[in-house]
Amino acid sequence: MSALGGPKQTAGVQPPTAIGIVLSIILIVAALGLAYYLVQMAGVIAVVGIIIGGVLIAFGVHFVPVGGAPAAMGQSPGIATGVAMLAAGAGLAGLFGGAWAAPFGFAVALAGGAVGGGLLMAITCTMVNVIYIFGMGIPAASGKVDKDPITGDTFPEYKSQGTEGHGLPFISWVGGVVGGALGGLGGTLIYLELLDVYQAQLPVLLNTTVEQIAPVAISLAGVFAIAMFLINAVLAAYNITGTIEGPHDPKFKRFPRAIIAAAVASAVAGIFAIGLLELVGVF
Amino acid sequence: MEEIVFGIGITALAGALATVAGAAEDTESDIGSQGDPNSQVQLAPQMGYIHRIFNKAVAGEPPAYGLWVALGAGLAWAFMAMQINPILAIVLGSALAVFVQGVYATTAYLGRTASLAKFGQPVYIDILKSMTTVTMAHAFVAIFTTVAMCHLMISALGHPFPLPLLGLVWGIALGAAGSATGNPFYGKERQYQEQKFGAGVPISASGNIVRYAEAGQRNSLDNGFFSAKLGGPASGICFGLIVFFELWRTVVFEELNIWGPIIVGVVVILIFAIIDRYIEVWARKNFGPYTTPEEASS
Amino acid sequence: MSVKIEVGAGGIPHNQILIYGLVGSLVLIYLTYLNTYFQTEYFAFFGGLAAVVALLWGTDTIKHLCSYGLGTGVPSAGMIALGSGVVAALFGATTGPFAPIVTIIIAAIIGAVAGLMANAVVRMDIPVMVVSLIELAIVGAMTVLGLAAMACGTFEFLGMITGTVTFLGFTMLTYETSVIGGGIIAVIFMLGAIAIQHPFNACLGPGEQQDRTLMLAAECGFLSMIPVAIISFAFIGAYAALIALVISIIGWLYTYQQYIELSKRDAYAWLDAQPIMEPEEGGA
Repeated sequence: MSALGGPKQTAGVQPPTAIGIVLSIILIVAALGLAYYLVQMAGVIAVVGIIIGGVLIAFGVHFVPVGGAPAAMGQSPGIATGVAMLAAGAGLAGLFGGAWAAPFGFAVALAGGAVGGGLLMAITCTMVNVIYIFGMGIPAASGKVDKDPITGDTFPEYKSQGTEGHGLPFISWVGGVVGGALGGLGGTLIYLELLDVYQAQLPVLLNTTVEQIAPVAISLAGVFAIAMFLINAVLAAYNITGTIEGPHDPKFKRFPRAIIAAAVASAVAGIFAIGLLELVGVF
Repeated sequence: MEEIVFGIGITALAGALATVAGAAEDTESDIGSQGDPNSQVQLAPQMGYIHRIFNKAVAGEPPAYGLWVALGAGLAWAFMAMQINPILAIVLGSALAVFVQGVYATTAYLGRTASLAKFGQPVYIDILKSMTTVTMAHAFVAIFTTVAMCHLMISALGHPFPLPLLGLVWGIALGAAGSATGNPFYGKERQYQEQKFGAGVPISASGNIVRYAEAGQRNSLDNGFFSAKLGGPASGICFGLIVFFELWRTVVFEELNIWGPIIVGVVVILIFAIIDRYIEVWARKNFGPYTTPEEASS
Repeated sequence: MSVKIEVGAGGIPHNQILIYGLVGSLVLIYLTYLNTYFQTEYFAFFGGLAAVVALLWGTDTIKHLCSYGLGTGVPSAGMIALGSGVVAALFGATTGPFAPIVTIIIAAIIGAVAGLMANAVVRMDIPVMVVSLIELAIVGAMTVLGLAAMACGTFEFLGMITGTVTFLGFTMLTYETSVIGGGIIAVIFMLGAIAIQHPFNACLGPGEQQDRTLMLAAECGFLSMIPVAIISFAFIGAYAALIALVISIIGWLYTYQQYIELSKRDAYAWLDAQPIMEPEEGGA
């Protein structure tokens, strides 16, 4: 993505405002109430599922090590691309696996989605290190911490002059895989919840069988899952102002803010996605 | 059993198509300086380094490829709905998607360069004429192979998503894999090949990209052939492995146990963790510390 | 790295563009309702024109929002716009003739929530954030609704999920060959997401000029209409789709040519096969 200097990169964590918190609680409660009013208990379960899915996505984005434009020059550690879109790539690959496994049940589909996202990030992160090491001769070094929390490697002496570190240290690799897995899990969860709702409602509404309506239900659930994924991923990207090294980065501590924001945004978008079919044929 | 053998064949074919797609995608984006290395091409004139590099900032690679592939898939789907043969439909759809890509490439170059008038960066029309066509050719390869791969996943392996939705999913994944793997190689090794090898580009050198070639002035085709040496193939392997393992674990192990694909997926992730750790340690041992720890701590 | 987002000053005030964009896209999208009224499909192209007008407005909004520096790329603003927009547009579509108005209201709600979350919880503290995300969500929703209406001739949900298939001379009703069932909505989603962010992303820099950026926005809109017109051959009559295709190509050729003229006007120099012109006094 374009490298655009953020406003307050180094500022400490500013807690959410009181109005923000109150508003968040009101909106979530309102969404749950509306869901109960529209689709009864199934609706509440679906909204809760969507909120959890959105929270997992936003939390997952914080794990993905993304260095943005400086990473492409070996000036800062992480993967050289935009955080929202890299997370989307992993999450959607997970969605691919999860949707494929959907007929085998909830648990298998969710696990399939998580593994799919994790697999994409595992391969991508490994290839990033292959390029750094065998293509550019640069060892991995973090700029934010002196010691890898997992392996105990020290970094300052491997950091080349005039940079903030480079490559993907092992902790960032693990963060990438965890982030991809959480993204895949969250995306698949949203997809499955919506699919359940549509598969229950559409045949009744249009007086057809589940098989006939499957393409519409799958497409609607898929498009909404992608849309909510992107909303949550972008909100999380705003929270970390573009770049992060992984779970060891001080910016990681900002995650509670993104979780609240994602929960509310998912609840509001989710209630419209669930209530979608209630108005068909009314007008 | 026969079904599994058929599935493995499709998996291998899809993996091969994905490999070609990844290689073409990275070479295309490097010729156009799309993605993160774009920031340096944009920065150079502001630092007084006028250049003749193609600067096509359509969007980041993942969203851009999300569109190209989804568009190719959507058009192919529409042609198939009009009863056109699938292969012809995919070719036509990809060709039309490449037309859109080419137009976006030209408007991006003109827009960015015209906005740099203050720094004396002229618009070189010959860049548009010669490079856009080359990026379009590479983009066609990437789009066609990815759409064909998605079509295989639906028609041969029975994935429930419709073709355009699958195109969107794999297009974004293609852009993510290609930009992650290929960008540093172009950004550091090519744009800043005059800087020290084996070290990151010092922040003070930002914008001082290489503008002259072995003979004459460097243009983006020179960057394309450089990327095709390592960055492109590596991106291809990356995306190929992703697609292959994603399909292979499902096709082969789903028959044994519904949890089979998941266990195999976790095992594959662990294997990649070992590979990654091995090369990381190898690099630390062989490239050695730049400074002794005492100095660095100051 | 240190590329600052700079925008040119002057031009048409944003509020004026906002009103023209909102009213224009609403009127144009309602013109596709003539299809239902006259039982034809020839008015489908108005949906595409609604998307063009909405994109013009969205481009100006993105310019205002991104001049604050979001810390992440311009494209992400397009993604959140269309992500909110597609939910609102499909929800709105279920309300029949009221679809465009309901879509605007729902999009405003989702956009407002996203904006409030970004400002009050994530603490972006950008003054125009809430208003901008409301505008962007509406633009995204109108783009999706407009292009979807262009593809299948109506902005009503039932029209979007049903299609016909002619097989051996028999015409059958099917849910698979439809804008939503076939996943065409995903193509429309991405067409909008790139078209909304591209004009500003492509033109940003110290020499940015509003007329050039907006001309590019119109060009992106017409360019997005071309593939949708081709796809619409699968859903609506050949003549109706042909009219849409011809209109999109004419609009695109005109705006593209105008954009090149404006770029020529703003460029430092317009050279063909010339060497690098080194600055004379060592750096600008």
